[in-house]
Amino acid sequence: MGDVNVVIDGEKVSGPEGNTILEAANEAGINIPTLCHRPDLTPDGNCRVCVVEVEGAPRLVASCHTPISEGMVIQTRSPKVLAARRTVVELLLAGHTGPCVTDECAKDCELHYLAAELEVGPPRFQVKKRRSYPVETLSPYVQRDMGRCILCRRCVRACAEIAKKNVFSMAYRGFRSKVVVDCDVPLDKEACRDCGICIDYCPTSALTKPKAN
Amino acid sequence: MERNELLNMIKEEQAKNGSVSEGAMADMAQILQLPIGDVYGVTTFYSFLSTKPMGRHVIRICKSVPCFLQDGAMVAAAIEKELGISPGETTSGGRFSFELTNCIGACDQAPAMLVDDEVYGDLTPEKIGEILNSFD
Ligand code: SF4
Ligand code: FES
Repeated sequence: MGDVNVVIDGEKVSGPEGNTILEAANEAGINIPTLCHRPDLTPDGNCRVCVVEVEGAPRLVASCHTPISEGMVIQTRSPKVLAARRTVVELLLAGHTGPCVTDECAKDCELHYLAAELEVGPPRFQVKKRRSYPVETLSPYVQRDMGRCILCRRCVRACAEIAKKNVFSMAYRGFRSKVVVDCDVPLDKEACRDCGICIDYCPTSALTKPKAN
Repeated sequence: MERNELLNMIKEEQAKNGSVSEGAMADMAQILQLPIGDVYGVTTFYSFLSTKPMGRHVIRICKSVPCFLQDGAMVAAAIEKELGISPGETTSGGRFSFELTNCIGACDQAPAMLVDDEVYGDLTPEKIGEILNSFD
């Protein structure tokens, strides 16, 4: 298991076999933005925010789940990469609702931060009908507002892999995709304990602690 | 049994009972040691699987472009007129359910529809009446 040598943004970097491009870059102090990925969750590669250009590859690859291989030459900030990343964030924003959209000062939305960081301009994409669901307030531990969800599946993985509870699943398809509990019932306190892990992992305000009443 | 058995189990259930009930999903989840939500997720992913009870016969009208260009809307209108139900509904006697679906691979015969597993192409309002009458 020798080290694998790659070049990232012109810098020689080496890392153990099996490491992802993202891990190798981070190791070298090169920052690649991510959204659906967290270092302690299994990579899912669903948001495409972390795309990079690999010389000779026919298309951009998601760095969070692409392993490094010997001799790879990688660009993390080429114009092509930045344009794609911006478009990805714009598309996510087009379907996203929440306080961060209307309130410039709203905190705690990673999508909002990403948009600012990538200097995403005014909206280019219109959605005909926003996804909207009633806010789920049954559970004393987690409040779910799925209209704000960007389908990153971090809660699904965090609940399964860290809390070992498997409360959330993905259902439906395409525009109707939704993170569901059982056969799409509102989250109550039967299945869910009060660990709050999913709230910590949610990048948006889709999952929050219910206000004490 | 493994997780990759799930889709086959769901298809069998649908073939046997016409739809996949919550009870059936719970049983499969139990057998495969999966969260019920995952079974529900797979079932709702496919438009040919249903979690709601369906009529004895399921009519599926293509809403994709080739049928659209061949006046597919006429087909839907003819069926609505004939049966008195809109897409997503079932006739009160449980004879027909009517669904809109994506391409059914019969573009050469557009506008087309499926009744159960049978394709009917080059449809006209008259033909539709005849076809529907041939079902019990
Ligand atoms: S609820 Fe939050 S963590 Fe879960 S998929 Fe939606 S945005 Fe991601
Ligand atoms: S962070 Fe890599 S695809 Fe989402």
